[in-house]
Amino acid sequence: MRDDRPTALVTCDGTGLLPSVVYYGKHGLIMVGNSAKAHLQSEPTRTIDSAKRYMGRGYDEQLAGQLSHLRLAEPESEADRKVVRFDLGERSVTPVEVSAEILKSLKKSAIDQLTHVGGVVITVPAYFDEAQRQATKDAGRLAGLDVLRLLNEPTAAALAYGLDKNTQGTYAVYDLGGGTFDITILELQDGVFQVRSTGGDSALGGDDFDRVIAARMLEAMGFDPGATVPSDVVALVLSVAREIKHSLSQSTTAEVKLPARGGNEVAFALSRDELATLAAPLLARTELASRRALRDAGLTPAQIEGVILVGGSTRMPAVRAFVEKVFGQVPLTDLDPDLVVAYGAAISAAALSGQGEDVLLLDVLPLSLGVETMGGGVDKILPRNLSIPAGARSTFTTYADNQTGFEVHVVQGERELAQDCRSLARFKITGIPPMPAGMARLEIEFQVDENNLLHVSARETTTGIEQSIDVTPSYGLSEDEIEQMLIDALDHGEQDLEARRVADARVEAERVLLATEKSLRDDASLLDPSELARINTAIADLHAVIERTRLSADVKATHINSRLDELDDATKAWAGRRMNQAIARALGGQQLEQVAHSVEAARGVDAHVHEHEQNRSGRRI
Amino acid sequence: MDPFATLGLPPSFDLDVRTIAERKLALSRALHPDRYVGRPAGERRAALSKALEVNEAARQLSNPITRAEAVLLTLGAVNDETPHAPSQAFLMDILELREDLRAAGRAHEQAKLDALVQQVDARKAETLKRLSVAFADAQRNQYAARPVVHQLLSELRYLQRFSDEAEAFLDEMPLAL
Repeated sequence: MRDDRPTALVTCDGTGLLPSVVYYGKHGLIMVGNSAKAHLQSEPTRTIDSAKRYMGRGYDEQLAGQLSHLRLAEPESEADRKVVRFDLGERSVTPVEVSAEILKSLKKSAIDQLTHVGGVVITVPAYFDEAQRQATKDAGRLAGLDVLRLLNEPTAAALAYGLDKNTQGTYAVYDLGGGTFDITILELQDGVFQVRSTGGDSALGGDDFDRVIAARMLEAMGFDPGATVPSDVVALVLSVAREIKHSLSQSTTAEVKLPARGGNEVAFALSRDELATLAAPLLARTELASRRALRDAGLTPAQIEGVILVGGSTRMPAVRAFVEKVFGQVPLTDLDPDLVVAYGAAISAAALSGQGEDVLLLDVLPLSLGVETMGGGVDKILPRNLSIPAGARSTFTTYADNQTGFEVHVVQGERELAQDCRSLARFKITGIPPMPAGMARLEIEFQVDENNLLHVSARETTTGIEQSIDVTPSYGLSEDEIEQMLIDALDHGEQDLEARRVADARVEAERVLLATEKSLRDDASLLDPSELARINTAIADLHAVIERTRLSADVKATHINSRLDELDDATKAWAGRRMNQAIARALGGQQLEQVAHSVEAARGVDAHVHEHEQNRSGRRI
Repeated sequence: MDPFATLGLPPSFDLDVRTIAERKLALSRALHPDRYVGRPAGERRAALSKALEVNEAARQLSNPITRAEAVLLTLGAVNDETPHAPSQAFLMDILELREDLRAAGRAHEQAKLDALVQQVDARKAETLKRLSVAFADAQRNQYAARPVVHQLLSELRYLQRFSDEAEAFLDEMPLAL
């Protein structure tokens, strides 16, 4: 943000865009952006583009048979199957590492131009599922960034549009990027951006247009459909296809010469209309998602104030004409579709760090979350398009006498069968006291936070014993793997990592101290003397440990964190009271009494409510 | 957790959806996790759990079926009350409607689907009106009027199931373009 306006950092080529391409040279050299792109033809398997498409995906769900110049490494173990690995020859890299390189390059530009980087907001397609989001967050961590928030791209775009044009009303954001499609319907009102519904396809984008053009070219060059094509030829036709696609946004026909099999040259021509025909089946998929999003929002196209176009692919005339037909209105194109998302992210980052406009983003869960039932069906716990943060409790019971544990499989998606949805995680609950079948009541709490990431906890409600839950994500890198990557990335490995850990703990401690001291100035009246004394001691202890210099790095980090925990514990009840005060203020004076009254009245039925909920959701698994 | 108490609203079936949305918004302004970035962990946790309680309460009260269930609970209804099945005539109607729906859906007859959806939407609106009256009666005399509420609620659930099924068919319709 410069003078309250978002500004794009200038990349080395003078534009505001960094192509998401990473080149891994033979001797550890890594290049990002246009310089990496230059290696696409000569070393196609070492030049990774569209890593975003592979984020959070496992080896087995890879888009088999899809035209690509990349080579995937065969998994060596079960754990390997949880993550795609690009085969570079001497080693392999995961999409998370590739993304981290891109983020590191951006971080470097930012440091060069702004001297330092604070918290960051990373945008993701709205239709990204939990595993894809987690992978994105991991990439941020790997790049050494403090990720404040994962923000949905269409929401970011709306934010930029809304503030720039001072718009109000209900808008649709049609976002067709390189590898993903999103449609989001949202309401803009007085600085509040409330998403009504979202839909999309996380494997559909401009790359697919390149692929259909490239397939045509290969045919013209003499390759049979489905034949194995060398990586360098694939890289060539894909890049020429992209150029043709771009040029057809300006002119109505394009022609190129291609090397045919056997050494001859062959002319290849494509018209804008022909491209539109090739694109039609792909665009049809966006219509389906658009209609569903409108229906979920309870709106007709006529009730939409405007359609905002986002993503480079929306420059295509065929796409614009298509959007106009679906929504019955000419889409808005006044802001650069490539930069609008970045502008929105900058506005959001400023707001989150308390510097910018007072905006509030209320987003939704893009895909339903559920639990696999006995027969392989799905019991939806949280339906799609629910406002986040969202939470639900579900009660389970044992089916055998003295059963001391069981497994719960969490899936995401809209399909009826668990096997057709995306597997998110399996968690094992153990330590249930021995009881007759059906007696134990396990309450599992699902929480989706503001980043659309899932948190799970379990409690045995008959005895009140907290259960230990062992969560195994179905896809993605493990904590140990990330740790190892962090160590590998630093010059002095473990030592540097310890130093970073102390620095992180210290930053967090200072932030908490500042916040707590401010709260004490505002709301010390909500504390009794003994609580206040305990908090003051905890504060003094934390200050003291930060100042101590004669501690080794690992000991110091541990000490800071344990003192932080103590302060956290000392302020717990107080935080709850302050929250209640915030609620009372939000509801306003007169309603305050009403709340008190209805809380009083509700107390009598609380027991019933509780019982009812348990009965309703009780089930055997 | 009583959703009415969470949003600071009186436990009534006749709540305006706009009022619920306004309350949700006002509370979100105070509680959304974005407002607690950089705050101590305990405060962030407390805000998160309150914010999701608000969202859950707004969800429950925005949907007439779950709102009715919530009102019933405040009236002291419990889960094991005798179920009140809709009348035989109603069930026959629904059965017929669903057969028509499936036939129209399988034949991809958009106009017929739309007409059926409209018909059921009208019945839903009618049932909601009667439900509102029944709740007013129940508020005056809990035990006498409650069976009527239960019966209407059960009809509403059948109608809603029809709407859900219709939506699935609409999803599968061939594309307009």
